[in-house]
Amino acid sequence: MTTTKDLWENTLVELELTISPPNFNTWFRDTHIVRVEDNTVYLGVPSQFARDWLSRKFHKDILRSLRGLSENVRSIEYIISRGTKKTPEEIVSTPAAPSELPLEAVHTKSNLNPRFTLSSFVVGPFNELAHAAAQAVIRKPGIAYNPLLIYGPTGLGKTHLIQAIGNHFRVHAPDRKVFYMTSEKFSMDYVSALQAGKVHSFKERYRQYDLLVMDDVQFLAGRDKIKEEFFHLFNYLYDGNKQLVFTSDQHPNFIQQLEDRIKSRLSAGMIVSITPPDHQSRLAIVRAKAAVHKVVLSDEILDYLAATVEGNVRELEGALNLLLIQFEMREGPLTLADTKNILRTAAGTAKKAVSVGEVVKIIANFYGIEETSIYEKTRRKEVVRPRQVIMFLLRDDFHLSFPAIGDKMGGRDHTTVIHSCDKIKNELLSDSILNQEISQIRLMLK
Amino acid sequence: MRFETPTEQFHNAVSIAARFAERRANLSALAGILIAAENGRILLRATNLECGVEISLPAKVTEGGVVAIPAHTLQGFISNVRGKSVSVAHVGEVVRVETDRAVASIKTLPADDFPILPRVSASTVFTIKSNDLTRVIRSVAFCAATSTIKPELQSILLFADAGKLSAVATDSFRLAEKTASLRSGGSVPHLLLPARNAVEFMRILETYQGDIDVYYNENQISAHINTIYFTSRLVDGSFPNYRQIIPASFSTEAVVLREDFSQALKSLSIFSDKFFHMSFAIEPSKKALILSSHNPDVGEQTSTIHAAISGEAVTMSFNSRYLADSLQAISGESIRILSNGMGKAILIKDAADESFLYLAMPMNR
Repeated sequence: MTTTKDLWENTLVELELTISPPNFNTWFRDTHIVRVEDNTVYLGVPSQFARDWLSRKFHKDILRSLRGLSENVRSIEYIISRGTKKTPEEIVSTPAAPSELPLEAVHTKSNLNPRFTLSSFVVGPFNELAHAAAQAVIRKPGIAYNPLLIYGPTGLGKTHLIQAIGNHFRVHAPDRKVFYMTSEKFSMDYVSALQAGKVHSFKERYRQYDLLVMDDVQFLAGRDKIKEEFFHLFNYLYDGNKQLVFTSDQHPNFIQQLEDRIKSRLSAGMIVSITPPDHQSRLAIVRAKAAVHKVVLSDEILDYLAATVEGNVRELEGALNLLLIQFEMREGPLTLADTKNILRTAAGTAKKAVSVGEVVKIIANFYGIEETSIYEKTRRKEVVRPRQVIMFLLRDDFHLSFPAIGDKMGGRDHTTVIHSCDKIKNELLSDSILNQEISQIRLMLK
Repeated sequence: MRFETPTEQFHNAVSIAARFAERRANLSALAGILIAAENGRILLRATNLECGVEISLPAKVTEGGVVAIPAHTLQGFISNVRGKSVSVAHVGEVVRVETDRAVASIKTLPADDFPILPRVSASTVFTIKSNDLTRVIRSVAFCAATSTIKPELQSILLFADAGKLSAVATDSFRLAEKTASLRSGGSVPHLLLPARNAVEFMRILETYQGDIDVYYNENQISAHINTIYFTSRLVDGSFPNYRQIIPASFSTEAVVLREDFSQALKSLSIFSDKFFHMSFAIEPSKKALILSSHNPDVGEQTSTIHAAISGEAVTMSFNSRYLADSLQAISGESIRILSNGMGKAILIKDAADESFLYLAMPMNR
């Protein structure tokens, strides 16, 4: 036998042919079969209006159609059901017990996640500047560094830091209006305000904040109307000495399709970068995260974790979580060998296949030199550096062997390659410009 | 169908019924008023499927029948004609409406599509003075939320305990509660009456003095008010447990004259900005409430109101309209303002009447 849902859908199709569209839409909307029992169909309807009218006016039609599809239907009972569609919404919207005049409405307005606080932020050499800037902003909002822009690759705690600023305000200066959003939400709000013809109230709403925190401003690029709206909002808040805090995945000057007027404004206050953490910081982060979970892992394991899981803090956290679940499942303590095993099986991260030729092309392009010059036997300075970078990336990201790299680079000896890789690796520790260049290139290679 | 009836009473009935018709209905018949004539009476019915009304009138019926007439056309015509009596006749596709001086032919709507109104069985009922029910609805209806996100907050909560009927409404920024005595029926469960329907109900109740019986079940509420039958859908949902958020004790209490407070708020509104922002200070040392508002484009104002104060000094910001709204439900000479300090809700009451309370949140800045 067909399901009750199908039965009712087929019945509706038939009824639709015999009943005028306005009548059909008015009375059969939101109806459904609740259950079928002892040859009686229990029909759920949204209100008593519908119940009374259906049973009086359309009863015969409904019964005839139902019988045509399912012979043993004898009668219909109409019940006012608390519509299937409405139920999930109600569960959400029924506040269990608001402790104050649904005050949480006021707090949810800030859109901040209370989990992100300054005290849970691990500070290391890689982010201490950003942390210091955040502290300054908290002490002298709107005056110290306005706007504050924090940039860096994904998963290094940008969002954590800016939300922490917002949360600090929310707790310590409750009379100030704080709002956190992503640039995506800003765009969506603008578009829907535009469609509803409420651009004015959109402007009003955003202009009331004392502290506006916007995540991922790079996504504003290329959207002309939204950029313009952002520009005006920026000016309004900035002129009122309201604090603005932004994040981006790269320096604003590198964001394409962003007008100079916006770039220069973003650069007007303080721009700080968060770079990937060094080993000591990673160790500190792993320790702090493990402590949150109240798990004690041996130094050996933590050290291994910090050393092997490359990439950003988020991945580090993911790897740690993986260990934690294993830790909970097994009885005894984790050994280093176990750890290695767990991480190896999980780390099946596939690199996208990019040909060497492509890598060379992209990097040559990036440095603005001829692609062919890379393969030549020249030692001009402007060619040597890019060549070394290429070798370093081929080794580090694509795991080619040293001889293979030498071969591809116009028949160079593998010791030349080893030297190049070491040189770049060493310089990376001290040279922040090189660091930036490499992360830019890595983005382009993805 | 053919009948004749006094213009004034027909006009009144059409005006009430027209408020229930829905102009933009999917089902065209709902934009109309159904008129049924029979045995010396006519019955007018209109509904938007949320709430509905039936009005019975005496009339000289010469020929029985049923017809549906577009509500706004009929109302527009009938409210602009003179003459003691009006006669209505159904001729083919049109209805002829005729008075001493004017005649109109109005196209009819399909009367077959016109739904009947739900009836509520008489088993669950409470009785209350019409005046009292009007008053409780009026005292709280303005607080109901206008946004459709939470249907339970768009409604007025009605319930009774130990012979006391309470009406409550809130939009989550302020809350009003008003109580009144029932004539009979000791307790009533929580009923969520959509605020818009409640206001229509109230406008009908205003026309009648005396006791009315209100029938209810879990989906529907209805009442006979003299010759008018009113019915409305009830909202399915649960109202927040608002009793918990009303503070039991306060750190500051101020008593002021209602008239003083009301006047100050009115003049402050001239200077308030578009958020109706107003600063509100209770100063025990000066024995005064100090209210001020300022708008960079207009200017600023400060009002000092003499007050009897006990407790600590406090300064808050408010939406001045939220405070002004509370006064429309208070008729006594003086009001009590109770506060628990910055950032906490304040409570406003009639100093001599415990049946009304109003809770408002300060502005967050």
